[in-house]
Amino acid sequence: MSGHRVRAITRRLLQGFRRDRRTLALLFVAPIVILGLLGYLLRGSTSSPSVGIANEDSGPLGAVVADALRHSSHITTTNISAADGDARLIDGSLVAYIVLPSDFSRQAQSGNVAPEVHLEGSQPGNDAPVLQALQQALINLASQVAGRSVNFQPRIHYLYGGASFDTLDYFGAAFVGLVVFFLVFVITIVSFLNERSQGTLERLMASPLRRGEIVLGYMLGFTVLALVQAAEVLIFSLAVLKIQNQGNVLLIFGMEALMAIAAVNLGIFLSMFARSEFQAVQFIPLVVVPQVLLSGIIFPVSSEPKGLQYLSDVLPLTYAVNGMRDIMVKGADLTWSSLQLDAGVVAGFCVVLIAAGTATLRRRLG
Amino acid sequence: MSDTYAVDLENVSKSFGAFKALNGVNLRVRQGEIYGLLGPNGSGKTTLIRLICGLLEAHAGTVTVLGQRMPNVAVLRHIGYMTQQAALYPALSVGENVAFFAAINGADAGVKAALELVQLYDRRGSVVATLSGGLRQRCSLACALVHRPELLLLDEPTVGIDPQLRVQFWESFRQMAADGTTIIISSHVMDEADRCQRLGLIQYGRLLAEGTPADIRVQGGSQNLEEAFLALAGRNES
Repeated sequence: MSGHRVRAITRRLLQGFRRDRRTLALLFVAPIVILGLLGYLLRGSTSSPSVGIANEDSGPLGAVVADALRHSSHITTTNISAADGDARLIDGSLVAYIVLPSDFSRQAQSGNVAPEVHLEGSQPGNDAPVLQALQQALINLASQVAGRSVNFQPRIHYLYGGASFDTLDYFGAAFVGLVVFFLVFVITIVSFLNERSQGTLERLMASPLRRGEIVLGYMLGFTVLALVQAAEVLIFSLAVLKIQNQGNVLLIFGMEALMAIAAVNLGIFLSMFARSEFQAVQFIPLVVVPQVLLSGIIFPVSSEPKGLQYLSDVLPLTYAVNGMRDIMVKGADLTWSSLQLDAGVVAGFCVVLIAAGTATLRRRLG
Repeated sequence: MSDTYAVDLENVSKSFGAFKALNGVNLRVRQGEIYGLLGPNGSGKTTLIRLICGLLEAHAGTVTVLGQRMPNVAVLRHIGYMTQQAALYPALSVGENVAFFAAINGADAGVKAALELVQLYDRRGSVVATLSGGLRQRCSLACALVHRPELLLLDEPTVGIDPQLRVQFWESFRQMAADGTTIIISSHVMDEADRCQRLGLIQYGRLLAEGTPADIRVQGGSQNLEEAFLALAGRNES
């Protein structure tokens, strides 16, 4: 082992980086951006699940429970009527509502209470705080009913999902799309850079090919690959992982196709800003990680700090993830306005990216 | 050989930042001519070829190719361009590469003839990544001429090629020129210069001298083309 030779390799490596300012910038900027985002996302988030309370109790104890729920730190509460509850769950303004029935006080006096808990159910992470808040409120109730123990048996109803709906079902719906988006993006950006570095792009530009033809040809080629991949991902997710699906498989496939087309064109567009495959690969943390953090895959967009929600609203992945969850978890079809919006926005992004990719593909070299 | 100019550059200049790659170049190439661009590395040969096929735009002067001002996409279907490096798709076979360039030029029927011309028809199934440098160059040439272009631009096509293959290449070039194809070929190898009908000597982005190889020898005052070139280059520097 020669220290001199080892030093020569180390020095050669650092000399190369010294001249590659873009790589250096990404090396030091990307971690700050990603960690800063994560910190802001986790610490800056103040919102807690919104829960409706329908207190129909003719006696006094319902008000005691409602009051305890209002003071819970786990949830934010609103008074509603039980009849409005499902509509509020569907429009997303509530994640749950609790109905304290008209005979609630009588139930408590008899030692058995059965409040109704209606959970939206598509985000398992929201269910625990609701049930925790209710449990604390009922413990508080028990202390008010002197002389006897109170047995709690909340009756839980799910709008979507169900008791068997687990974290994998929630994340799976989003990841089915994300996996396709991410891999297609990486393959496209590296392939396009290859085209540049092996000199074939120069040849294409000196041929009668039009820029739009190159972009469309690439898009179709990668979309074919992406669709095969999407089918594989879907079959594995549904048949092997048994991820819950309430929707039409063709709709999921359609949404995946839209995401693949967006990813292909994002790859072509961004490849214009990289000079080597090495630099292109560095776009991945800067482009993909913030989208993964902000598109609602891991943290619901509604729980993000307000400033980040604006950012989430302009990311294509936010709409794609929302659309996938609407289809797979809620069984949405194309009559749903939310799915129309999600599919429309992702399709719109595809059009914008095709135009941007075509516009930035320069025929001339300098 | 006709007096119609396939390529006509008038007072063309091109800079990259502060670096002047070409400086007031006037150059005319007749139809059916084999024109050699000679000059050391970095003299401006590749820039000149890229200007002719519209990959670069001149900062000053005009570039007219086959009667059209460049850049002009419509002219490109009549141009064949062989880049300095053998720009091919390594994962595709020889035949697939040539077929691809034939397809984008609308000349699918020319694949077999192009492969036969570069003597690669029997190797058409070989994957490019597995080929030697010389075979790649031959495949690259086939890609450039598969659509039977009127103007063939060859940027140092014989770099890294063994002498035997070089002779074969020049046979092909002469045959195409005889059929009316105009060929502009860049090289810094002097023994290739004698094979051209006319030569342009480029240094520091300027056209130092132009003429037949015999003219260049007279202008440089030496029977040896290399010495003639060095003499002309020396006069330019002094």
